[in-house]
Amino acid sequence: MKKETILPETRDTAFRDLILKTPVGEKIPTCMQCGICAGSCPVSHEMDYTPRQLVRMVQLGLKHEVLNSNTIWICTTCFSCSVRCPRGIRPTELMETLKPIAIAEGIKNKNSKFDNIFSDVVKKNGRASEFLLISKYSLSEPGMIKQAPFGLSLMSRGKLPLMPDKMEDVRELDAIFKTGEEKQEKKPESGTKENAETKAEAGEKNEGKAADTGGEAEK
Amino acid sequence: MTEKELPLTGETTPENEIPPKKENGNVQPKKIGVYLCRCGGNIGDVVDLQAVADSLKTDKNLIVNIQDYLCSSQGQERIKNDIEKGRIDRVVIGSCSPKLHLETFRSMAKKAGINPNLLEITNIREQASWVHDKAGIDAKVKGLIKGAVARIGSIEPLVPLEKKLVDRTLVVGGGIAGITTALEMADNHEVILIEKAPFLGGHMIGLSKTFPTLDCSQCILTPKMVAVHNHPNITLLTQTEVADVKGSPGDYTITLKHSPRYVDIKKCISCGACARKCPTGAIFLPFAQAVPQAYMIDMSKCKQCGACVKVCPRDAINLEAKEETSTISVGAVAIATGFEPLDLSVIEEYNYPAPNLLTAIEFEEMLSAKSKTGMRLQKADGSFPNRVAFVLCAGSRDFTGRGKKYCSKVCCIYSQKQAQLVKKMKGDAEAWIFYIDMRSAGRRFEEFYHHTQEKGVNYVRGKIAEIIPKPDGTLMVQYEDTNLGMKGREVFDMVVLCPALVPSAGTKELADKLGVPLGDDGFVEEKHVKLDPVNTLNQSAFAAGCVLGPKDIHDSVTEGISAAHKASQFLGKGIILIPPEKPMILECNGCGDCVKACPYNALNLEGGKAVLSPLACTGCGICVPACPIKGIEIRNYTRNQLKAQLKAILGEAPGVVVFLDPYAYAAADIAGVNRKQYSSLVRFVSVPSIHILDADVVNAAFEYGATGVMLIEGTTDEKLTSRSDELYKRLKKETRKHKKPLRYSHIETAQYEKMTDLLNVFATQAGTKAEKRSKKEKGDSSETAEE
Ligand SMILES: Cc1cc2nc3c(=O)[nH]c(=O)nc-3n(C[C@H](O)[C@H](O)[C@H](O)COP(=O)(O)OP(=O)(O)OC[C@H]3O[C@@H](n4cnc5c(N)ncnc54)[C@H](O)[C@@H]3O)c2cc1C
Ligand code: SF4
Ligand code: SF4
Ligand code: SF4
Ligand code: SF4
Repeated sequence: MKKETILPETRDTAFRDLILKTPVGEKIPTCMQCGICAGSCPVSHEMDYTPRQLVRMVQLGLKHEVLNSNTIWICTTCFSCSVRCPRGIRPTELMETLKPIAIAEGIKNKNSKFDNIFSDVVKKNGRASEFLLISKYSLSEPGMIKQAPFGLSLMSRGKLPLMPDKMEDVRELDAIFKTGEEKQEKKPESGTKENAETKAEAGEKNEGKAADTGGEAEK
Repeated sequence: MTEKELPLTGETTPENEIPPKKENGNVQPKKIGVYLCRCGGNIGDVVDLQAVADSLKTDKNLIVNIQDYLCSSQGQERIKNDIEKGRIDRVVIGSCSPKLHLETFRSMAKKAGINPNLLEITNIREQASWVHDKAGIDAKVKGLIKGAVARIGSIEPLVPLEKKLVDRTLVVGGGIAGITTALEMADNHEVILIEKAPFLGGHMIGLSKTFPTLDCSQCILTPKMVAVHNHPNITLLTQTEVADVKGSPGDYTITLKHSPRYVDIKKCISCGACARKCPTGAIFLPFAQAVPQAYMIDMSKCKQCGACVKVCPRDAINLEAKEETSTISVGAVAIATGFEPLDLSVIEEYNYPAPNLLTAIEFEEMLSAKSKTGMRLQKADGSFPNRVAFVLCAGSRDFTGRGKKYCSKVCCIYSQKQAQLVKKMKGDAEAWIFYIDMRSAGRRFEEFYHHTQEKGVNYVRGKIAEIIPKPDGTLMVQYEDTNLGMKGREVFDMVVLCPALVPSAGTKELADKLGVPLGDDGFVEEKHVKLDPVNTLNQSAFAAGCVLGPKDIHDSVTEGISAAHKASQFLGKGIILIPPEKPMILECNGCGDCVKACPYNALNLEGGKAVLSPLACTGCGICVPACPIKGIEIRNYTRNQLKAQLKAILGEAPGVVVFLDPYAYAAADIAGVNRKQYSSLVRFVSVPSIHILDADVVNAAFEYGATGVMLIEGTTDEKLTSRSDELYKRLKKETRKHKKPLRYSHIETAQYEKMTDLLNVFATQAGTKAEKRSKKEKGDSSETAEE
């Protein structure tokens, strides 16, 4: 792997500040690089940067590395890192925050492709279908052809049904997606804006919380 | 001026005179000096002190002066000069918290020739410039200073009462800190040292070697323990704890609780005849070097067969022994209750406890005087562990609430000591240290780190993420080597967890009984973090060792010596000064309501009139609202004095009045030190206790423009807190007509964050209510219903 030099021009402070202002960003500056997240992560060995390194890169504002890393796509959202982090940082949510930004930036790699295909299949059928998923992904990713014999052997044992299991009424699901998309359209630059707004809401919520504490303490 | 002597009881000195309240007016105009401190820029950069000074100019009786550093000799000289030249005879200072320099300023005032109580400090740093930004702060400070001016003008020059001290110290905790304190004091003062375990030594007697020099713990500790045992001025009581504390600083009556040992320590000669006859092994010597040297019985194992009783040549055994209590009288208390490990089962992914998964304390004990394995390091199956891992920061540096926020300070170094011991016992054994940051600050520690590296210990930068015990007794650990960014997995024969060190169980109860506040980490709060590190807010209570936070033996000993010095200094004065702000009974119809109300039995009916015993009185003020004819006032905190102060404070701008007792005041100071911001509408008024307040004062606050009133109580004295609810309800009822918010809150010194949250919420609520009210008044003045 070719390594970059960290230079003032590779550090995007606007990107860093944007992330730090999201609800998950608040605690990111307190990461002590203990590595519990990466040590807990079931898939960190598959990532080009471990969750700990991703947090570090966000601290520095290494936008290019962060958004192009496969880390955010490989994360299984198992939450192990988030429950264990001694600083209360939630790497899982960080990944979730970064994904839409990467999409908005038009960043594509094989991991984001998989995510796209997966959601397409779900949108169409209302259910995930291993067969559709694997065949579509294999077609789009040339390297996958090597896995073909394995797929065939799965099929021969009936582990990979050809017919997708469809939802009874996919229209309902369509409606849900539509509403979601409409909402999205109202906020053009999906990732970034959305996050800024979530933060504002969270801010309000926090104040509410303080009010609660106050109420409790009173007699 | 006629001076009347109040009847005093107890051991007092004849000079004790409280000048009476001046009954008839004809008071000379007071010449007051107001001195404002910029405190470098700490205050001056946030508060426009010139504007504050200008706002006082209309008052011709005032001299106003601004200094860069009032506490400097130059600053003090200026005040001293003004007093000596007769320009002023009363002083208001606007500066940092009175906790820091009040004593200094008052002794200067005394030297200059005025009663030191005629100098008061208004806290405009910890409780203003450090917690607010510029918006609204000038109005606040102006108000507070004007309030202080109004107050100082009406203050009586009282002289503190004196009380004889009991020249005896109770040291609680027989670890190295308590042992040191006791020994350092004992040549000149009587000491009672109590320890809840059956033997002396605390954690240190359970240590193997001690870093950074690797001398054997027991070898350096035993002579000290023996010295305690033999010292004619030290009474050592093991298996003893404090059950109850009565009295006041300098003169406590303390009830001790002794749990039974079933063997008389004085009679037992440790011959061991009993143990040889006992069929269940219930009677034993804790360990060979234990002080005191005497057998004891584990009653959970004893069958009451009496074999030991029959065989004991000294008739030392009593199977019928029960828990006993005794009372002692002491003037000072040193708290040295040390630490204990955090319960690591809270970290689920570590799966503690499990075979061969131990805490560092358990590891040490195996190799110490307390060893049950013959000083051999061994696994559950008795064999030597060839691969040992040390997990640092287990439960420390954790901000999620699962563990402790702080660094436990000693684990980085002791784990390296333990790793060295492993390598020393078996050269080809492996010792791995999993660390986040290797903290080796301090003399000889980096060298120790280097030396451990030379010994071939394997360091991994990365905290263990999970530990899985395997059926064969080995342990699988998973981690990230953060230097490489690679995940790793290893299997070890033994894993040693270095736990966060927390205050001993019972520390809070003891501290509460003594009126000693704890920090939010649970450790005893120092009087001043840096300048008074072994004093507490209770002038007769001192602390040393790990009860003040995790530390090594060297620092525990240093604090033990310091605490001994401070306690000796305190006792050496022979007397204790008691604040003279006591109740005065101006009118009395002999109803006896106050006598019944007083929680400290300080009032009695004599000849049909209530009479005060000033030394028994704590100045809590409960009697003030209790008197149905308002015949009782607390000196220098009379209703009129408080009202005058409130009027001046609120005359500047409306705000939220918050009455603080001394413990809550300390919480506000800590909030300041931590720069916890809150609304600048908050106006603190310091009172000796919130119980001196009645509806007269609170209503006055509302009338003068308070948008809300809050009472914050920090004391842990149950005699007071148990009455607070009633006080609040009464006040609420009697101030209802103002329809303005009134709150009560109990906030201990450590809970400063809760305090600032609450202040913010309350200030906002009070503000919204005030707004609604004014709208309503404008809209329809005939409508009155609300809430
Ligand atoms: C694993 C480990 C290894 C260490 N190794 C080293 C080392 O090599 N070198 C070094 O310098 N430091 C070392 N330390 C630190 C050292 O142990 C402490 O500095 C020292 O023990 C502190 O002494 P203490 O008296 O303050 O507290 P403690 O040793 O905890 O003593 C407190 C005593 O008070 C008693 N007590 C508690 N509550 C009450 C109560 N309510 N009433 C009556 N008695 C009470 C307890 O029973 C105890 O005996 C180590 C610490 C640990 C955890
Ligand atoms: S667990 Fe938390 S503190 Fe530790 S490296 Fe990961 S994000 Fe940072
Ligand atoms: S949530 Fe994602 S990053 Fe965190 S441990 Fe699970 S897979 Fe790894
Ligand atoms: S001393 Fe070292 S191991 Fe202990 S809490 Fe601090 S950093 Fe962690
Ligand atoms: S101030 Fe408190 S202690 Fe003193 S007499 Fe009144 S009620 Fe009793």
